[in-house]
Amino acid sequence: MEWEVVIGLEIHAQLACKSKIFSGSSTKFGIEQNTQASLIDLGYPGVLPVLNQEAVVMAIKFGLAVNAQIAERSIFARKNYFYPDLPKGYQISQYELPIVFNGSLEIQTQNGLQKRIGITRAHLEEDAGKSIHDKFEQETAIDLNRAGIPLLEIVSEPEMSSPKEATAYMHKIHQIVKYLEICDGNMQEGSFRCDANVSLRPKATSKLGTRTEIKNLNSFKFVEKAIAYEIARQEELLNAGKEITQETRLYDSDMDETRTMRTKEEENDYRYFPDPDLLPLEIDKSMIEQIRSQLPELFEAKVQRYVRDYGIKENDAVKIADTIELARYFEKVTTVFNSDNQLVANWILTELLFVLNRDRLSIDQLGVSPKSFAQLLQRITDGTISGKIAKDVFDSMVHEKKEVDVIIQSRGLEQISDVGEIESIIVEVLETFPDQLQEYLNGKEKILGFFVGQVMQRTQGRANPSIVNEILKEKIKNN
Amino acid sequence: MSVKKSEIAYISSLSKLKMEDAEMENYTRQISEILEMIQQLEKVDTHDIEPMAHPLNMKQRLRLDLVTEENRRELYQKNAVVLEEGFYKVPKVIE
Amino acid sequence: MLRSRDISSHEILEMYIQRISEHDSSFNSYITLNQEVALEQSIQADKLIESGDPLPLTGIPYAGKDIFCTQGIKTTCGSKMLENFIPPYDATVISNLNNQGAILIGKTNMDEFAMGSSNETSYFGPVHNPWDLARSPGGSSGGSAVAVAAGLAPIALGTDTGGSIRQPAAFTGITGLKPSYGRCSRYGMVAFASSLDQAGILALTAEDTAILLESMAGFDPMDSTSVEADVPKYSGLLNVSIEGKTVGIPKEFFDEGLDAESEQVFLDAIKVYESLGVQFKDISLPHLGLSVPTYYVVAPAECSSNLARYDGIRFGYRHDEIDDLDDFYLTNRQIGFGAEVKRRIITGTYVLSAGYYDAYYLKAQKVRQLISQDFKKAFQDVDAIMGPTTQTPAFKIGEKIDDPVTMYMNDIYTISANLAGLPAISHPCGFVQSLPFGLQIIAPHFAETELLNLTHLFQQETDWHQKQPPDLNEA
Repeated sequence: MEWEVVIGLEIHAQLACKSKIFSGSSTKFGIEQNTQASLIDLGYPGVLPVLNQEAVVMAIKFGLAVNAQIAERSIFARKNYFYPDLPKGYQISQYELPIVFNGSLEIQTQNGLQKRIGITRAHLEEDAGKSIHDKFEQETAIDLNRAGIPLLEIVSEPEMSSPKEATAYMHKIHQIVKYLEICDGNMQEGSFRCDANVSLRPKATSKLGTRTEIKNLNSFKFVEKAIAYEIARQEELLNAGKEITQETRLYDSDMDETRTMRTKEEENDYRYFPDPDLLPLEIDKSMIEQIRSQLPELFEAKVQRYVRDYGIKENDAVKIADTIELARYFEKVTTVFNSDNQLVANWILTELLFVLNRDRLSIDQLGVSPKSFAQLLQRITDGTISGKIAKDVFDSMVHEKKEVDVIIQSRGLEQISDVGEIESIIVEVLETFPDQLQEYLNGKEKILGFFVGQVMQRTQGRANPSIVNEILKEKIKNN
Repeated sequence: MSVKKSEIAYISSLSKLKMEDAEMENYTRQISEILEMIQQLEKVDTHDIEPMAHPLNMKQRLRLDLVTEENRRELYQKNAVVLEEGFYKVPKVIE
Repeated sequence: MLRSRDISSHEILEMYIQRISEHDSSFNSYITLNQEVALEQSIQADKLIESGDPLPLTGIPYAGKDIFCTQGIKTTCGSKMLENFIPPYDATVISNLNNQGAILIGKTNMDEFAMGSSNETSYFGPVHNPWDLARSPGGSSGGSAVAVAAGLAPIALGTDTGGSIRQPAAFTGITGLKPSYGRCSRYGMVAFASSLDQAGILALTAEDTAILLESMAGFDPMDSTSVEADVPKYSGLLNVSIEGKTVGIPKEFFDEGLDAESEQVFLDAIKVYESLGVQFKDISLPHLGLSVPTYYVVAPAECSSNLARYDGIRFGYRHDEIDDLDDFYLTNRQIGFGAEVKRRIITGTYVLSAGYYDAYYLKAQKVRQLISQDFKKAFQDVDAIMGPTTQTPAFKIGEKIDDPVTMYMNDIYTISANLAGLPAISHPCGFVQSLPFGLQIIAPHFAETELLNLTHLFQQETDWHQKQPPDLNEA
C-alpha cells in the first residue's frame, strides 16, 4: 500500500508588542518570575480585558502579507479548560470569526517547483503562563509573566506532503513575521512555536486519515525530524493493519521519537463561546489600507529590487534576502560602499556567514558595523590589502573589535604594489629555483603557483597578486 | 427532559466540581427541572434572528500599546496561601 | 439629607455604627465593618466641610455590597471561597465614590457570588427582612437593601444581574436602581454574568439615588463594555414635569402568578401617576414569558466560565496537603463553593458543552434578541414601561430554597431589563399583607433621568418610601 502524507502546521508567534494583549504589563523575556504579571494577567476577581491596538495592527499586517482576507468583524471567544498556568480557567482566543482568513504563500519544493500552501486562518489570542516541573521536588512552580502575551496563531491548510515542505513553509512564515517586525522569531525563547498535525492516507484518495498532533517543536530541525519519525511510525502501524489513535504527542529530541503526551486537558470540550467582556472587533477598510500602505518591503520584492537596482546575481539576492537582518546589513554596507555591490554580496555570503556560523553569532552579535565592513571592502578595492589578507583582517575585526585601518597599520599588512620591489623579489625567486623554472619552461604550467607562493612567503602575503602574476610571466618569458 | 446522573458526573468533572453520590442525585434532579424549564425556548422560531452577545450595539475599543503596569509582585501575592521564591505552587503535574 | 449640615459627618457615622451594633445581629446585613477608618475619614470630612470646600459626597456614608473589590478591605462575595480575600485594588465605582468624598461604612451580605433571589445562599448566613425577621429581604443584594431599610446606612451599592437590586428593594420597601448596561464600570465588580451584571444603588429616595449615581457612573477605560457617554446631572433633573408622558403596561405582566392583592396595590399606585399627568397604554412584550428560561441559560453559562478562576492557586480557598492536581482543583472548589453556585456552574457548563451549544446557548442569545426587539418596538410608542417589581411580597426564609425553579420564577418581572441592558428602578408603592410592595419602571437605554424623574415626583405625592419597619421606629 502506498501512502500519501498530509501535514498541517499550527504556528504560534508571540507578537512584538510592548505591552500584553489585554493588559498594560510589559512583555520582556527572561524577567524574574511573576514580576510582569498584573492583576488582569493573574485573573483576579473583578478584572477585565482591554484589547491592545498594536496586536490588531500586527495581525492585519500578517494577513496582508499572505494575501488573506481581513475580517471586517471578528469575535473573541473563551476557550475553557483548567490548568495551573491558565489563571482565568479560560484562554481568550478567537474561534468562529478570526481576524484573518483565507491566505496563502508559496514554497519551493524539493524539485525546485513552486507550491502554494493555503493558510486557513490566523487569529489573536493570549499566551498562558509557564509551569516549571523541575524547580521544586513536590510541587510544580507557576510563573505567570508570560500569561497574556499576545499571540498570533497561524493555521495552515493540511497541504504539505513531506517534512521538507513543512519546514519550508515554517521557514517562510518565520521570514514573513520577521520582515514585518511583528515577531522576533526567537525559537529558543519561545516566541515562535510550532505544532504539527500528521496523517497518512492511501495514495490518490481524498479522505483524510486520522491525524496526530505533535507539540513542543522549537526548531526547524526538530520539526523535520519529528514529522519524519511520525510518518514512519504511522506507516508501520497502518501497514500492519492497525489504527492510528487520534492523540497529542510530544517530540523527544534526545531519543528522536514522538511519544504520547499525558494530555493536560483530558476532555477536549473547550465550550467556546463569545467572550462577554469584549465586544466585536470591527476593522474598516481605511484602517486596512493605511496599514497596507505602511507595509515594509517583503522578500519577493526585495529580491527583485536587488537584482534590478543593485545588479547582483539572483541566487545571491535570494540568499541575502532570506534573512531580514542580513538584508539590512547588506543594504547599509552598500550605502557606504557602493562601487561594487557584487563584491559586497560575495563577501557577505562567504566570509561573513562563515564567521557567523563558526563563532555561532547572530548578525547583531557580530560587532562589526556595516560601515566598518564597508571600509574593509574599500581597502580591497583600492588595493591597500589583498582579498586573502582581508579575510584575516576581518577575523581580527570580529575578535579584537578594532577598525580596519588600525589593524592594517599595526600589523603592517599593506599590500606591496611597488613594481620594482616585486620585480627584485621575483628575480631572486627565479634564481633560487632554476629546476622548477626549467620544469615550467618544459610545459608544467602549475609551477607558476609555486613561484607565486614563494613570492608571497617573502612578502608575508602582501604582494599584490595580479602584479606578481604579470611580472612573473614577463620575467619567465624574457628568460 | 431528564438528564442522566452520568451526564451530570461528566459535566461536573469538566467544571472541576465533585460531590457525594446523594448530592449528585439531588443535582441531577434539580438540573433536570431547570433544563425542562429551559426547553420552553424551543417554542419560538428564531431561524433568521441574530444571536445577541451584548445588549448594546458597540464595537471593541482599542488601547494604545503602552506599558502601564509595574512590578507589584509582593502586593499581588498577598492573597496566595502557598508561594516559594515568588512562584505560585501546585501539586506536581506529570506530563 | 446630609446637605443641610445640621449634623456633622462624624456624628452621623457614630450614629450608624451604633445602630449597626444594636440591630444588625437580627438582620445579618453586614459582613465586614470599616468603622475605624470610616470614623477617621468622617473627622477629615468635617474639616473639609468647615473649610467650605467639600466635594459632592464629602462625609456621606455608604455601604457596599461585598461583591465590589475594596482595597485593603475583605471582599468575600458571600462565599467561603473568598472568605479571606483582601483585594489590592478598588473597584472603579468604589473609587469614584471615594474620590467624591463618600465614606464606606462596611461591606454588606449577599447571595453567594450574586447567585440567588433571597440572600439565603450566603456562606455568612441569611439576611433577615426588617419588616418580618422570618422573611427573606430578597437577593442577591439583600444585605445592602436591609442596611438601608433598617437605617444601618443611608445608601448602599448593589449589583443587579437578573433583578438583584430591584427585587430586594421591593421586598424591603426602598428604592433600587439598576442603570443601563455600560453606564457604570464593571471593573472591580466580581463577575457573575458579564453581559448582564450592572452596579446600582439602593436608597430611600430617588433624590439620594440621583446624587450617588452622578458620582458613580461614567466611562472607564479599564472596562471594554463601559460606554463613552456623558453623565447627566441627575439630581438637577428630578422635578421636570411628567405631564403628558406615556407609560406602557405590558399585558404579559398580568398572567397567573400575580395575586389579586398585589395587583390592586399596583393599580392604585398607577392612579398617582395618572394624577400627575401620565397617560397609560396597554402594550405587549410578546416574548417576556421566555425571559426566565433565556436568563437561566445565559447567566449560568457566563458564570461557569467566570468562576473557573477560583482554584486556590493565586487567591481563594486552598485546602492543605493535597498531592494530586486534579484532586486539588476538585477539593478547593467543592469546599469553597455552596450549592447554588455549583448548580449554576454545572447548568452553565452543560448548556455550553459540545452538542448542546446550539440548542441552548445560541438559541437563548437569539431569544434575547427578540426580547430586546420587543422593548425597542414598545419604546417607539411609550416613554417608559411600568409593572409590579415582583409577583408577591417577601416570602419566608426556607420557603423556596430547595426548589430552584420556583426561586428562579421570582425574577420574572425583572430579568428582561437585564437581558435587554435597559435601566430600571423599583420604588415602594404600597403594602400587601403588611409587607412592602414595589413598582418597577423600565426606560430606554441611558434614560435613567426618566426613571429618577418619575420616581421623584411619585415620592413627592406619596409617603410609602418614608415608612419604616415597625421595631425600628425609635430611630
